[in-house]
Amino acid sequence: MIKLEHISKWVNLGNIRNFILKDINIEIAEGEFLSIMGPSGSGKSTLLNIIGMLDTASEGSYQFMDTEVFKLKEKQRSNLYKSHIGFVFQAYHLIDELTVYENIETPLIYQDIKNSERKAIVADMLDRFQMVGKKDLFPTQLSGGQQQLVGIARALVAKPKLILADEPTGNLNSKQGEEIMEFFQKLNLQEGVSIIQVTHSEKNAGYGKRIIHLLDGRIEKIENK
Amino acid sequence: MLKNYFKIAFRNLWRHRVFSLINILGLTVGMTACFLIFLYVRFETSYDKFHSRGDRIYRIISDIKTPTETMHPGGPSWAVGPHLMGGFPEVEATVRTTQDELLVRKGNIKFQEMNSLFADSSFFDMFDFKLIKGNPHNVLNEPFNIVFSESAVKKYFGNADPVGQTVLLTGDGAIAKITGVMKDIPENSMIKADMIVSMNTITRVWNTHLDDQWGNYGNRTYVMLKPGANAMAFEKKLPAFLEKMNGSEMKQMSMFPTLMLEKFPEAYLRSDRNDSDSGSIKNVYIFSIVAMFILLIACFNFINLTTARSSERAKEVGIRKVVGAGKAQLVLQFIGESIIICLIAFVFTLGLSALLLPSFNLLAGKTLSVGIFDNKEFIGILFLSSIAIGILAGIYPALVLTSFKPVTVLKGRFNTGSKGILLRKGLVISQFTISIALIISTLIVYLQMNFMHNEDLGFSKDQVMVINSNGDPAKKTFMQAIGALPQVKSVSMASSVPGGGNPGAYSKIQNVKGEMQVANLDLYFVDFEYMKQLNIKMAAGRTFSREFMTDTTKAMILNEAAVKMFGYRSAKDAVGRDFDQWGRAGKIIGVMKDFHYKSLRDEIKPLSMRIEPDGCNLISIKLSATNLPATITAIENKWNTLIPARPFSYFFLDEFFDKQYRSEQRFGKLFLNFAILAIIISCLGLLGLASYSTMQRTREIGIRKVLGASVPNIVNLLSREFLKLVLIAIIIASPIAWFAMHKWLMDFAYRIPISWWIFAIAGITATLIALITVSFQAIKAAISNPVVSLRTE
Repeated sequence: MIKLEHISKWVNLGNIRNFILKDINIEIAEGEFLSIMGPSGSGKSTLLNIIGMLDTASEGSYQFMDTEVFKLKEKQRSNLYKSHIGFVFQAYHLIDELTVYENIETPLIYQDIKNSERKAIVADMLDRFQMVGKKDLFPTQLSGGQQQLVGIARALVAKPKLILADEPTGNLNSKQGEEIMEFFQKLNLQEGVSIIQVTHSEKNAGYGKRIIHLLDGRIEKIENK
Repeated sequence: MLKNYFKIAFRNLWRHRVFSLINILGLTVGMTACFLIFLYVRFETSYDKFHSRGDRIYRIISDIKTPTETMHPGGPSWAVGPHLMGGFPEVEATVRTTQDELLVRKGNIKFQEMNSLFADSSFFDMFDFKLIKGNPHNVLNEPFNIVFSESAVKKYFGNADPVGQTVLLTGDGAIAKITGVMKDIPENSMIKADMIVSMNTITRVWNTHLDDQWGNYGNRTYVMLKPGANAMAFEKKLPAFLEKMNGSEMKQMSMFPTLMLEKFPEAYLRSDRNDSDSGSIKNVYIFSIVAMFILLIACFNFINLTTARSSERAKEVGIRKVVGAGKAQLVLQFIGESIIICLIAFVFTLGLSALLLPSFNLLAGKTLSVGIFDNKEFIGILFLSSIAIGILAGIYPALVLTSFKPVTVLKGRFNTGSKGILLRKGLVISQFTISIALIISTLIVYLQMNFMHNEDLGFSKDQVMVINSNGDPAKKTFMQAIGALPQVKSVSMASSVPGGGNPGAYSKIQNVKGEMQVANLDLYFVDFEYMKQLNIKMAAGRTFSREFMTDTTKAMILNEAAVKMFGYRSAKDAVGRDFDQWGRAGKIIGVMKDFHYKSLRDEIKPLSMRIEPDGCNLISIKLSATNLPATITAIENKWNTLIPARPFSYFFLDEFFDKQYRSEQRFGKLFLNFAILAIIISCLGLLGLASYSTMQRTREIGIRKVLGASVPNIVNLLSREFLKLVLIAIIIASPIAWFAMHKWLMDFAYRIPISWWIFAIAGITATLIALITVSFQAIKAAISNPVVSLRTE
């Protein structure tokens, strides 16, 4: 599904090139549960953003479902990722002015799905996460774990093939974190949703099948479970 | 989808109430100012547009060239109108009008009618003044025909039908018959009258030679051309016409008039004749520009505040992009929000305008509009404009907001619109430039008004009460009677008082070369007490005195300006020279110092004075300041005893003189109000920007405090950047304001100098206002706890 070849990204500080990613080559198949680990500054989040098409590389090629992503224009790229990829963030990044229902509904609006259909899909999602009673609450009225669940619900609502999660349990306590990771595992095994997560914790990484270790922008080691 | 946007837009507005309020307030104030100014402009441009034949009606004006000057009377001579008829195929009708104050009496009801008009018989055929009763073709045909306005009818006849009834004119028994009733003349008409008397009353009875007097002025003449006639071609024929009719007399008198046409419906705004009720196209332009500026300032505010807040919305934009929003959808969302703000402001504008309308009417001195809903088309235009403003002012912020890359904003390491900062600084500078320019202009306008009010006029006008005796034979007895009253310091009479009108007299004065030179001199008939009462000083020679018998017929006093006109270097050289004026001849016995007998707008013109008791109708009474009301009552009693047929009415000379500045004062007040408005809006903008910028720098302030900065240090830091902007604005605004005001002051013959301290005051005021506005926010930020500011999210 995903093929990264000779991906490099750098920034220019004066005359010096500062490499964030150096010559990354990976292939990721559908249905995989992959973790990316590494110390701070190793380029994990950058790699994730490139995979998610939120950022571009300075060099290299990226094929997503046999489409050459870097050759696409912004609008085409946007269309591609919005229908196939869902994002989960460490800081949840919900829109505080919208209710739980409206937050989950938002991706559907941008896919031009009719109101009646939206209602059905969101109701389903709320049910699944057992949040029906909370649908009219605002994010500030929820706990961290609940907010993250909303974030995940939002990421899933458009039925993406791939979920990209950037330290999804970073702001949660251990119990909440466990619940989230187990949910991800179930999602991957039972529904075949590919998951790529960036994490610091060995424990979290253990939920996945493959671990990629990054150091200073390069792949240091690939671990298979 | 739309509903979703509405919901989000309102929630956003509510969440950031303070900003939203500032934004809406600024826009409301701007739109209200525009609306009110529009009403003013519309009213001023609507004058005389209700005449259906207006495109064919012209005013005939005349410039008269003499060897020494060019005069600009209000109309041509009396003979022009009648002689144009029949001589030109283009001319369908001519009408002359002249204003007069008539004493009108019906039984016991008597009033001095200040707004009376005499008019030729085609008056109602030419102009669209609606006659409720009477036939427009013949209602002014016969001498002593009079048409009353509806209000006048109520005054004298109540609800009875006045047609066919009679009233007494002029108090001495001239009987006039009411032949018609007209609707009250609307305010937006240059021709104003409460009653109209047939011109034939004058030309066939009172002064039968008037129709042939080519040298006699004092009327306004209108001509209506036939449809399709070429006005310019007609105007070109007029010099030949004058030459034929009056050429020899013109050469003899050395007075050469030229006749010109001016379009009547445009005369109110554009004519340069000194009409009593005249607007100025210049003022209309000035206020239109002011309106645009105010709206511009409000829009700049809006753009500024919205853009500045962009980083708050940045996260939302990032998230939306991540979940699939396209740029177009986001732009639409933000423009939609600004349209909503503008529409809310529109509703508030309607409310505010309705509230302010009565005071605005008062300020402008006329009833511009009765209710705001009078003007449906404009409300429609305002509505559409609100939407347009929403779109235009919303585009830039929308584009800025939607340009954020989700990666950057979601990381949190996002530095606010360092993009937009140059534009925002530019906008604040523009706002303050406009406001400072307005402060400077207002200061100068007020100084000039003040100057004119307080300037030494060269005579004393305080506590002088003036009564018009209208030539009543008992006037001398009355003067003696009130002279005896204890609070009366002196009594005199004259034909004119400063601030009012006076005749221009054809005069021959012996000039420095010894020749008798012709000139048209302003003339005051006075008595022996007049000059002393008004404290008019002499420059050379002596004043009128009863010791000299010949003073009553053979003496004249000129002012310094007159003497200069005849070539005399020093005033005393003119004493003893000859004069010949209106049938009297004699010597110049003295030269009086120039005094301002007209508005300070004009140069002091040459003035002549002679003793002529029969020509003096205005009785001037100098009173002591104590117990004024009682004194007035005492005088009134004497009047009612001695001259019961005429109603007692008076005015005070100082108020009367100031009336000449009425339009300038009004202009000044209006200007001041709008300047204040502009400043308020600019400050709102600055407030928004300052609080925003302070919020941005919360973290920086926290760090500085930890490193040891004191509260004054922080306030200094935050205020500095805004003060720089104000300084730049001062530098830009000053020359612009100087230039504009210099031009405006040129209109006044006597004016203030534009001193440097005016600019200093304006600059300091603007700086203070900016400081106060910014410092609230700065102090609040400076005293906050750094722990709170430095805590990460």
